[in-house]
Amino acid sequence: MTDSPVAPQMWEPAARVAGAAEQIAAPSLTYWQDVRQRLWRNRTAMAGLVFIILLVIAAIFGPMVSPHTYYDQDLKLANIPPAFQLYEVTDGSGETTRFFFNSGNLNIYEVTDDGRIAGLIRGKKDLIKKQTLFTFGDVEVTLHTPTQTLTRGDGVVLAPGQWQWNMSNVFGTDQLGRDVLARQLYGARISLTVAFVATLVNFFIGVFYGGISGYLGGRIDTLMMRIVEVIATIPLTLYVILIMVVFNSGFFSVIIAIGSVYWVDMARIVRGQILTLKQQDYVAAARTMGASTGRILTRHLLPNSIGPILVALTMLIPSAIFIESFMSFIGLGVTPPEASWGTLTSEAVETLRAYPYQMFFPAAAISLTMFAFNFLGDGLRDALDPRLRT
Amino acid sequence: MTGYVMQRLVLMLVTLLAIITLTFFLMHAVPGGPFVSDKMMAPEIQAAINAKYHLDDPVWLQYLNYLKGIASFDLGPSFKYAGMSVNEIIAEGLPTTLKVGVLALICVVSLGVPLGIVAALNRNRWPDTLVMVVATIGVAVPSYVIATVALYLFALRLGWVPTFGLDDWRGYFLPVFALSGFWISFIARLARSSLLETLQQDYMITAKAKGLKPGQILFKHGLRNSLIPVVTVLGPVVANLITGSFVIEQIFALPGIGRHFVLSITNRDYTAIMGITIFYAAVLMVMIFIVDMLYLVLDPRIKYREAR
Amino acid sequence: MTAPLLSVSDLRTSFFTSRGEVQAVRGVSFELRPGEILGIVGESGSGKSITCMSLLGLLKSNGRVIGGSALFEGQDLLTLDDRDLRRLRGDEIGMIFQDPMTSLNPTLTVGEQVIETILRHRRISRAAARQRAIELFELVRIPSAAKRLRSYPHEFSGGMRQRVMIAIALSCDPKLLIADEPTTALDVTIQRQVLALLKELQSRLGMAVILITHDLGVIAETADRVLVMYGGMVMEEAPVRRIFARPSHPYTRGLLASIPDLRDGAHQRLTPIPGSPPDMRHPPAGCPFAPRCTHAMAQCANVLPPVYDVEPGHGSRCWLHHPEAPRVEGVNDRELA
Ligand SMILES: Nc1ncnc2c1ncn2[C@@H]1O[C@H](COP(=O)(O)OP(=O)(O)OP(=O)(O)O)[C@@H](O)[C@H]1O
Ligand code: SF4
Ligand SMILES: [Mg+2]
Repeated sequence: MTDSPVAPQMWEPAARVAGAAEQIAAPSLTYWQDVRQRLWRNRTAMAGLVFIILLVIAAIFGPMVSPHTYYDQDLKLANIPPAFQLYEVTDGSGETTRFFFNSGNLNIYEVTDDGRIAGLIRGKKDLIKKQTLFTFGDVEVTLHTPTQTLTRGDGVVLAPGQWQWNMSNVFGTDQLGRDVLARQLYGARISLTVAFVATLVNFFIGVFYGGISGYLGGRIDTLMMRIVEVIATIPLTLYVILIMVVFNSGFFSVIIAIGSVYWVDMARIVRGQILTLKQQDYVAAARTMGASTGRILTRHLLPNSIGPILVALTMLIPSAIFIESFMSFIGLGVTPPEASWGTLTSEAVETLRAYPYQMFFPAAAISLTMFAFNFLGDGLRDALDPRLRT
Repeated sequence: MTGYVMQRLVLMLVTLLAIITLTFFLMHAVPGGPFVSDKMMAPEIQAAINAKYHLDDPVWLQYLNYLKGIASFDLGPSFKYAGMSVNEIIAEGLPTTLKVGVLALICVVSLGVPLGIVAALNRNRWPDTLVMVVATIGVAVPSYVIATVALYLFALRLGWVPTFGLDDWRGYFLPVFALSGFWISFIARLARSSLLETLQQDYMITAKAKGLKPGQILFKHGLRNSLIPVVTVLGPVVANLITGSFVIEQIFALPGIGRHFVLSITNRDYTAIMGITIFYAAVLMVMIFIVDMLYLVLDPRIKYREAR
Repeated sequence: MTAPLLSVSDLRTSFFTSRGEVQAVRGVSFELRPGEILGIVGESGSGKSITCMSLLGLLKSNGRVIGGSALFEGQDLLTLDDRDLRRLRGDEIGMIFQDPMTSLNPTLTVGEQVIETILRHRRISRAAARQRAIELFELVRIPSAAKRLRSYPHEFSGGMRQRVMIAIALSCDPKLLIADEPTTALDVTIQRQVLALLKELQSRLGMAVILITHDLGVIAETADRVLVMYGGMVMEEAPVRRIFARPSHPYTRGLLASIPDLRDGAHQRLTPIPGSPPDMRHPPAGCPFAPRCTHAMAQCANVLPPVYDVEPGHGSRCWLHHPEAPRVEGVNDRELA
């Protein structure tokens, strides 16, 4: 064999760093660092998280800073859209009036220069000729109802001008003239409160039930899990409905109804976690050192079950939002004038034919929120799942 | 095997009894609830209910009476409609609900599963992305939003389908679509992740190492195993198609049981609420039983595990 | 000397993950003659399984063979098209996996899983395939074979399942059997039975075997020749007796020291090799074992050692075999300086 020459100093023992042998393994992150890093890299999950945070902020502070309340009605200013096309009429004295025409209710509203609604302009209805006459100083404008065209006194057909965003009611008003944005913000507050509180209630019941079942084990565990099995087969939405019927509609009833029913998964997860953790040494160690049952549960078992519980919670919140809106939609949720995304949607359905755009804001709000929670939940689950770690 | 079937049957009956009991006592807790005589009530209804449940009897006797009725498939008279029984209310709505519900269930299975398979087999390529995006929308957007948007777009704007009713065959499209949309998406996602998981299993490598063809591996070894979780959720699917039908029947003005149910809630027709709930629960229990049996066929481990 | 049945040279396999390329196999070469039992040993993660999976095209989708060749009876397995490779798998080359609990399909009867393999590769009737499956079950000593065909995997014990796996692997009289840690998941007594069975079948049927294991004891009892792998490379290759009598590579010596000496019975002290295997995303530039090697020299950390022929048929990848290297007792003290 012809060996290439090697410099003599290369045969010296390699310089050693103490413990170098141990350090060559892949730099290992702790589990939670790893989870955080994975979550951080998951764009949709982060987008979901940011959206949720913004939403919560809006729901808390929005109604405070809003110039409108969710309940103030003004029937004269009902069903105003969030944006409209302006018409302009100048009378003999050179005074210009800006207004827009709401084709849904055939009304004309005056608009100020900065885009605010100054008020309803009343005209003279002529039911026989199917037209309405409006006067602006010395100029007359006729609205032909069947064709929905506006004609000036001299026969010129008025053409709609530029688009103007509604600066009084940024999202428009509903059929009772209430500000849609204020109702949206308030609805978000209700929907989120219901969801968070109900989820929390479920969480406590689930942890309590599952914790006891898993911790005690044996026959009691078997019995408790049989009960869970029975509850799991019951169509729970039906029971939410029945409970609502018993307690009557309203904010607290919704929380009680949703909060008391969906804890089964949580109980199962907690029990499963506790069963596996029970076998582990440090729990036995804590026990021999005389720690009480409650202390072992809260100090040792729960911190270790936090991952799957977190995922379950993130998934429970959107279901709670959904069920609340579902209940409100069929008329069992919060009572008017209170608003939630469900009531807002069902109110919008009532006016779907005349004002289809009213559907947009509540539908978008609830859908985006569902997306956000779903993305976050999926991301969290992926981040927590050690099987995916390579 | 028979042990397993018996066990499931018993569980089903126990659950049903639990539901009936819960429903009965919940309704009993309603102030002015179903079994209390009420001055406002139409006299003939009062008489019918009295004859049926003996309102002066103690609660437990009324409960037994009610159970006896259910055992002979009699859900008693309606609380609000004179001369109408809950059985008749259900019978009136059943055909509509059944038609839409069964169609929706067929859509869920026949669209959801193949979509999930296509996505899994094309992991991280465009068919997967497409299916997942659509499915994510389908899972996130509530069915009543889908229903109203579809109603506005296809019925009011485009006029392709009628806005309500099922007289025209095209009338089925939107309700079935709105009802099944969520579950098609859900099943597609589930089938996808389940198949992906199955494809990772050791026995799939064994199958490959045996030289089997890709088709054989997928259909014989992959699909069967990955369908097991899909089958397990079919019970909940039916439960949710039932509750989903409440809104869908309302939005599309379909004269089904769901609409009657919502109506009886608004009318506080307590016996009808109770009867329909129990009817739903019974349907569900039967469905879950069928699913359990299907499970038995698909997964031989069950026999072994449960019969021990 | 007979022509090799399988001749692998410079096999390289990588996995492409979100965190970079994992170089699982980095230039593995070896030859296998018909009827020979080749043992592959090495710590977890050294690339033993991936070497074999690469040969059969069984890598997970993120894995790719990026170089080398593997001639099986003259055709290169690495460039063979999918269809031809599928024909070989399960027919000419059988494979057994580590965990018999998970490598059988839980929803099909074991009989079906044997029969489908036979039907895939042989043009015979189902009844004939069934008959053959019964024979195979008898061959691997599964009692009441005909009846057990209808059982499901969960109705078998671990050892019995592994017998089923062996029956599947042998169903078409393969020329090569790859057994990837076939006994690791089994109880000690069952391990012995399965191993004895494998060895008996090998001598009866005359196929070549690649036996992957962690267990040097198994190697000593079973193999003809041994590959010692580390960091995706072959560190030492020698006939089995040489490996135990005169291990040349420091890593092999470390491995041998870490098991109770076979000759003395199980009384020796265990001295596991300190440290852990390299991260295959950033394999060391020089000798992969350098960070853990007690003899490591400056040269080792920088330049990958070549394979030195300590004797014909005994190769060792270590700088200590370089003529100018310092002498170390047991490794190179008998070699010429
Ligand atoms: N799908 C994969 N993706 C990324 N890396 C992988 C994958 N499969 C294996 N590896 C890596 O390839 C390397 C070699 O793995 P291999 O399974 O061949 O080791 P082994 O020697 O068989 O170990 P063991 O004794 O544990 O079976 C390991 O470092 C492993 O992390
Ligand atoms: S080359 Fe150097 S580091 Fe590698 S085994 Fe030989 S002596 Fe040890
Ligand atoms: Mg391995």
